[in-house]
Amino acid sequence: MAAASQDKSARVAALLSRIAMGDQAAFGEFYELTSAHLYGVAIRILRDPPAAEELLQEAYVNVWHHAGSYEVAKSQPMTWLTSIVRNRCLDQLRRREVQTVTLTPDDDDAADYDLPSDAMTPVEMLVAGAEARSVRDCVETLDAGPKQAIALAFYQGLSHSELAAHLREPLGTVKSWVRRGLERLKNCLDRAGMGRA
Amino acid sequence: MNLSRPDRLARLDALAASYVLGTLPGRARARLARVARTDTVVAQTIRGWEQRLAPFADSAPPITPSPQVWRRVALRLGLDVVRRSERGPWWTRVAFWRAAALASFVVAVGLGVSLMRPAQEAAPPIVVVLAGQDARPALIATLARDSRTMTVKTVGGAPVPADKSLELWMLPEGAAPRSLGLVPATGVGTVTLPALPDVALANVPALAVSLEQAGGSPTGAPQGPVLYTGRVEKFY
Repeated sequence: MAAASQDKSARVAALLSRIAMGDQAAFGEFYELTSAHLYGVAIRILRDPPAAEELLQEAYVNVWHHAGSYEVAKSQPMTWLTSIVRNRCLDQLRRREVQTVTLTPDDDDAADYDLPSDAMTPVEMLVAGAEARSVRDCVETLDAGPKQAIALAFYQGLSHSELAAHLREPLGTVKSWVRRGLERLKNCLDRAGMGRA
Repeated sequence: MNLSRPDRLARLDALAASYVLGTLPGRARARLARVARTDTVVAQTIRGWEQRLAPFADSAPPITPSPQVWRRVALRLGLDVVRRSERGPWWTRVAFWRAAALASFVVAVGLGVSLMRPAQEAAPPIVVVLAGQDARPALIATLARDSRTMTVKTVGGAPVPADKSLELWMLPEGAAPRSLGLVPATGVGTVTLPALPDVALANVPALAVSLEQAGGSPTGAPQGPVLYTGRVEKFY
């Protein structure tokens, strides 16, 4: 992990423990430090600014009430926070799908939302995330198809059928790309000692 | 379903991976999340994948959310920081509403006492006592239930500069203030409600008076400081 993100991680962990004691100044600083990252995550998945803002708002209200439940030993604070936001976004998306199962998956007007500042494609983000050499090597072992499918699912919350439509591949192909790609990533990352914090 | 059994671990790992990646479909997703709450092996497997994929989340460029998000969070939690960093209109401020509630409570107690005295005439059915932060009544607004004309009487308050006007506002719940017009700096004046009180004030728990440029706010929203506020008390 780079020094800058390690510093941030320690800072966020310290702020969380103060927030758990009701420290409002710490909460304000915590918001400053984390909100743009978390909003970036949420807006890419939901593609709906009001929904993403609403979700972020709920997440921060939740952090204020439950900062004490963060356990330093179990995960990095930013990983913990990002997972909370990602899970809420994905829950919302997947719940919507269950409810609108008879509608065509591609008619969602939210899908038209353009991210103004994204000069990077999801695959480029995936590669950029591999800051550490060993992680980058692992990403590079993926074939183009699986790499793209994993990147689109991870950053934009696409489901299997959306991936199939987007990549113009049969559903079965896309499913196995994702499954095998993740397996391969896991084996590679765990071998490189990146899978465990 | 016992996902933690050794023969199921490979299956669990694949489920956790697609849960964290996001491709696990709705029902299976909800079920796995439910199991993870009580099953530590399941929870750990999910956390393992969150850690594996964490570097990828970090690389997505940040996007700053609208300032509204922080304002709403702070407002909902009633944080003091709202008072310090507040840049929004005064009627959305927590501190303002706390002060207004206190002032109107003090005034309501005083009013209750005075209303208990034998009155010469019937008490007006709607009374709003508008008071400043010191809880001293500045204006009293009265209105009959079957009339759109509200009478506003000055009973105190600070003198109004010649180049300023007092403007009376309805403060509807969850909506922007709505002007009722100007009220005189001294003596008695009247304003007209847009409808009969049962309709016009149905969703209006409070009135406020702000200090505006002569002739009132040009924008239709309060521009100047709020001087007095009062709860709408209905005596019927």
